[in-house]
Amino acid sequence: MKRIETEILVIGGGATGTGIAWDAALRGFRVVLVEKRDLTHGTTGRYHGLLHSGGRYVVKDPHSAAECIAENRILRKTHAHCIEDTGGFFVVTPEDEGDYPGQFKAACAKIGIPCKEISVAEALKREPLMNPRARRVFVVPDGAADSFQATHSTAQAARQAGASILNYHEVVQLLVEGGEGDRRVVGARARDLARGEDVEIRARMTINAAGAWSGVIARTAGVRVDVIPGKGTMLAVNHRIVNTVLNRCKMPDDGDIIVPIHTVSVIGTTDERVEDPENLTIEPWEVELLLREGDKLVPGISQARFVRAWAGVRPLYQEHYSGASRDATRDLTLLDHKTRDGMSGFLTILGGKWTTFRLMAQVTMDKACEYLGTCKPCITAQTVLPGVEQGHYWLGHRLHEVEENHLQSELVCECELVTRAMLENAARNNPTLTLDDLRRDVRLGMGPCQGGFCTYRAVGILHEMQASSQQSTVNREASRRDSEQSDEWNVAYMQSPSHNLQLPTPQFQSPISNLQSPNLLLRDFLQERWKGLLPILWGRQLKQERLDEFIYLCLMNAEHLPDENLTSAMTEFYARPGIQATADKEVQHG
Amino acid sequence: MHTASWHSVGMTLDECIKCNICTTYCPVAAVTDKFPGPKYAGPQAQRFRECGQLKSPDISVDYCCACRVCNEVCPSGVKIAEINARAKAQIVADRGIPLRNWFFGRNEKLGKIGSYAPYLANLGFHNPFSRYMAEKIMGVARHAPIPRWSTEGSFEAWFRRMPRLKSDKKVVYFHGCSTNYYEPQVGKAAVAVLEHLGYEVIVPPQNCCALPMLNNGEFPAAEKLFRSNIAKLLPYADQGYPIVGTSVSCVLVLREEASEMLDIENDQTRRLRSALWDMSEWLRDLLEQDKLDTDFRELKMVLPYHVSCQARAHRMGRPSLDVMSLIPGLDVREGSARCCGLAGTYGYKAEKYDIAMKVGEEAFRFVRAQGDAARIVTSDSEICRWQLEHGTHKFCRAPIEIFAAAYGLYDLDKRRLITEKQK
Amino acid sequence: MVDLIVVGAGLTGLIAAYTAAKMGQQVKIVTKGLGATHWHAGSIDVLGYYPDDAMPVTRPLEMIQDLVRSQPRHPYAILDGTIPDALKNFAALTQEIGLPYAGAANFGDNLWLPSPVGAARPTFLAPDAQLAGDLRRSEPMLIVGLRGMRDFYPALIAENLTKQGQRARAAFLPRDLITDRHDINTVQLAYALDDPARRSKLAAELKKLAQPGERIGLPAILGIDAHAAAMSDLQTQVGATIFEIPTLSPSVPGVRLTNALRNQLRQLGVRVEINAAVIGFHAEGDRVLWIESDASGRPLKHRAGKFLLATGGILGGGIDSDHTGKVWEVVLNLPLAVPRERGQWFRARFFDPAGHPIFRAGVSVNRKFQPIDAQGARVYVNVWAAGNILAHADPILERSLEGIALATGIAAARNASEQSTVSSE
Repeated sequence: MKRIETEILVIGGGATGTGIAWDAALRGFRVVLVEKRDLTHGTTGRYHGLLHSGGRYVVKDPHSAAECIAENRILRKTHAHCIEDTGGFFVVTPEDEGDYPGQFKAACAKIGIPCKEISVAEALKREPLMNPRARRVFVVPDGAADSFQATHSTAQAARQAGASILNYHEVVQLLVEGGEGDRRVVGARARDLARGEDVEIRARMTINAAGAWSGVIARTAGVRVDVIPGKGTMLAVNHRIVNTVLNRCKMPDDGDIIVPIHTVSVIGTTDERVEDPENLTIEPWEVELLLREGDKLVPGISQARFVRAWAGVRPLYQEHYSGASRDATRDLTLLDHKTRDGMSGFLTILGGKWTTFRLMAQVTMDKACEYLGTCKPCITAQTVLPGVEQGHYWLGHRLHEVEENHLQSELVCECELVTRAMLENAARNNPTLTLDDLRRDVRLGMGPCQGGFCTYRAVGILHEMQASSQQSTVNREASRRDSEQSDEWNVAYMQSPSHNLQLPTPQFQSPISNLQSPNLLLRDFLQERWKGLLPILWGRQLKQERLDEFIYLCLMNAEHLPDENLTSAMTEFYARPGIQATADKEVQHG
Repeated sequence: MHTASWHSVGMTLDECIKCNICTTYCPVAAVTDKFPGPKYAGPQAQRFRECGQLKSPDISVDYCCACRVCNEVCPSGVKIAEINARAKAQIVADRGIPLRNWFFGRNEKLGKIGSYAPYLANLGFHNPFSRYMAEKIMGVARHAPIPRWSTEGSFEAWFRRMPRLKSDKKVVYFHGCSTNYYEPQVGKAAVAVLEHLGYEVIVPPQNCCALPMLNNGEFPAAEKLFRSNIAKLLPYADQGYPIVGTSVSCVLVLREEASEMLDIENDQTRRLRSALWDMSEWLRDLLEQDKLDTDFRELKMVLPYHVSCQARAHRMGRPSLDVMSLIPGLDVREGSARCCGLAGTYGYKAEKYDIAMKVGEEAFRFVRAQGDAARIVTSDSEICRWQLEHGTHKFCRAPIEIFAAAYGLYDLDKRRLITEKQK
Repeated sequence: MVDLIVVGAGLTGLIAAYTAAKMGQQVKIVTKGLGATHWHAGSIDVLGYYPDDAMPVTRPLEMIQDLVRSQPRHPYAILDGTIPDALKNFAALTQEIGLPYAGAANFGDNLWLPSPVGAARPTFLAPDAQLAGDLRRSEPMLIVGLRGMRDFYPALIAENLTKQGQRARAAFLPRDLITDRHDINTVQLAYALDDPARRSKLAAELKKLAQPGERIGLPAILGIDAHAAAMSDLQTQVGATIFEIPTLSPSVPGVRLTNALRNQLRQLGVRVEINAAVIGFHAEGDRVLWIESDASGRPLKHRAGKFLLATGGILGGGIDSDHTGKVWEVVLNLPLAVPRERGQWFRARFFDPAGHPIFRAGVSVNRKFQPIDAQGARVYVNVWAAGNILAHADPILERSLEGIALATGIAAARNASEQSTVSSE
């Protein structure tokens, strides 16, 4: 079995895990990160994209709010290109009268969250679709964050500082040594899903940043961590009907936020305690609730075209808590298993918000340093990532770059303006087992047609790439370093058409040679897209989906392609129903 | 441009299912790479536009000629052409308007100035040196068919010169800039037909419909003109008078396009809309009520009919055809060409002239295919008439001139009323 | 005075209008936009998979006998054995309009043609240009594509064909062989190949690539207005059998068929009002007097003695739905047969062999193709419905879309034409 020796092993490739790897690498540690699927497969890839100003928590959880505004300011510098400066409104709707607005304003002032009241008329000028019957509007520095870009950028920064990031490496067992009174976690055994072989990683400190799966990981060492998995459902409207984050000005509750992120507007969210972090079934009442609440902020939004519904599971933690997940604390929690469970060499980090991931990483590494006997300071707050010179994200940037560079004929995913070069570069440089991995990189299939046209094109292109890479003279062994990247391609620009004009020369290692059957890629991605459509499939999106069905059944006959028995690491996950009720029995027609 | 309400044209982007039918039929995308097609420029790019962003990301939408063929063929109801128009206006708002396009927008003022000394104005504009300089300095294509000022004086001047029929039945006539300054004979034919039908014609104060400004993205100025027309015409609409226009483009703007592009829809625009008629549409309506005099003389000729994209944009069917089909001896041949290419002010632009001529080739080919026997061509829009004359060298007449001739009131060849003395 | 208004200009609408016009009716087509012919492969699918998506059908006309016995409400069940005639009539019509379609040499067999991803798709009638692609033939195939053409992948097609036991290999030609443009779609490429000079260039390169005995598969871009000449030129100059493989939309074979049918309709005096979205109607008692379409000033009234809906179901826009689970027919608000709850609309797997029940929703009709309500009573005396708007079938799942379009379009139009037009005044 392959063995890797390192100082710090991080389990989990979400915002927190990659943040820790980055922090650790900048402090000079050797770090290995393992993620069981693709980066952001977990909660990080399934949230609405809010960069908190903290306004949401000023009254309920002021400590959390203070952390948010501090981190908000930092991330705007360190991860500038992953953030859109949308600003945010806290809107007092007719349903939300009471003394909360006064408390809100006072609390913002106390904590130091910039908060300015504007007239409703002025707010409507900026956001014409906002509820015209709103009573008061406060402006705060909310923003929108692309967690895919941010996590990949953080991972790249970690790599450039010497870290090793291993996707599709699933931890099957923590390695525990020592006897009574001296038990230690010394690393983990992980399964390399791409090659189907195990690898043993030995480390002085193992950090469990597996989020909602933390309990599963800890259990393999006999340590009990009762994560409270709080499932949250979100819906995406087909386009930007608002360009400012809209929050209801009241105690946080379901469906009280609309976030403009990239080309869509996201209504969020619910909070249901679930048993299994892989259970992301969306129930009809959740959809109805989000539409109903959304109508209060933006009347008429329930009639809009929705392109997607998805759920993420919040990794909440509260010692000895058995209540509803909505009311569980969002505070970050660092579990020092030596003091808590007599298990040294092992830390678990839970809770928190995306906005505070850097802080969570800092807190974790500060504690790790205590145990490792070094006191290198954290420098992540002052370290900008490659790519920040692009400035904040603005909605028009892809269109602008396609126009300036005449890339219209290069578009593979036309809805989201993904060029062939962007796709090929991402496929060559980011480990790609499924089209969903590419989707997270470049937004393939995330627009109105939900993969109707681009699935076919992507599969054809990847197949061509695979054929040409097999013919190339690249050393097969060199290509096994599939977690490393070429110096020539920069993940900071993976979403930028104008930075992907040149296809790289083929002398770097290419994970593409590990790609499976194109037919499997196609089937898996269409199923993955379907899963997120079922809860919101009516009206125009239903017509769209019927066209997509027309293409893949009548025209392509894709379900009768060869390799029908092949599966990937994700096939089973995609096949789980995305909604509660499905037509299993004989259907009654009215 | 920001979407002001759920009824704004920008919202129709949500109807798009990316089916590519629009791009299949776009006459501009068919001939040049500079326009990536309506699906790209309209609903697709619209998802990347918002108000208040750093700058307008667009460039290629400028090559949309606004023929609206995309809207016609779209099975989902996306208002592609209008989305494109608003995107163009955002470019203008960000970067300012080129001087040439600014002049195009002031078409009414230019018309008026030239009308004081039409011979001089024609001489000054229509000589090769001026056209060459206009192309070099301003980018106005030297070969594009710029109309000549009428040397018989403006339509309005003519209208006020003579005593007019008085009657209980009244109709308001909206002439538009080109009839007023370049083709007053179209207006004369219209008045003759209306009076023949027993109507008193009222020509109230009116201004440019603002189409050149709308097409070139100058929305604030266009809005001023639109509101001014509403104020001038609404009193007549509210008195129940029909307001008819022979310029199919002007009527489209006043009835629909101004509202949609400027995102202005209110009780006033609705009242005005219900009073406005395209001339042929109004005559057809009379026909359906058995109130139209159908005692037409024989007009024995082959008449190619190019259906202007603006006429099709009305979605009112083919009223010109419906009325012309009653004229004995008239062999009307309906064309199916998508666009003549001139498309408002598009084909006048040096960088677009060649595209316009390639687009128009379909219409030219249709006219030529009707044979040499077809000496006269008809089309509802003056723009198409000028472009067809330019591309085929055949005479072009408006449908109202055909009707007037069929009533025995008008000479199609000499292009004047029978009652007018030769100058 | 218009006898019959057909709403919808897809294959169903066009063939219904044609049928009625040939029977002497004064026909007008009113349509919001153009139809699904622009997205499909250009061939006529009669029945490809039955009873569920897993079972391929080798002889559809025979299998339909089984189908109508077990699904008595299926549109094919109403057709009373007229399906073969409808298909023969269509084939004859295609000869007349210069775009001949034919079926397998052994009449009654499905053809199995290569799809754009290299699967074998069952279809019954195909345009001449596609016939030589039949995978039951034994000649090896050379699949040729253009570099950078994003809607056609010859290597993938060839690989998948090979995995299915075919002999197939792929090759590429430079795109500038056919066009100087960068931003092209299939229709523009097809227009480029209307030019004989470009065809000769293409033929010269193909000749170099082809090996003896190979048949050459190209994307369906071989001319639009001069398609027949293009095919003949290429085959002569290359000296090999050539066949077209359909692509993602725009479908050039679909555009050819639409153009040819519309030309025919023009000659028969049928007016096609496009850009006429129906926004209302007026009925008195059980008779529809007119429908209204959206226009710039006031809605345009379309009066006729009879109306035939060919609006195409969910795909065509003839049926709409909202988040409350409400489903409705868009033109005349006819009663629909529809799954009672939204929870019953879909199955968990996109490619579920049993399909998704919502797509069987539609208008139920009597034996004359007149819409009926849940009790079986006819709703209007002068309304008919045909095509994808009909309930109790999922034409996409079973690969019967064009078969249903043709057979029901012709039958409904015949029924409508045979009923005398009573004045609507």
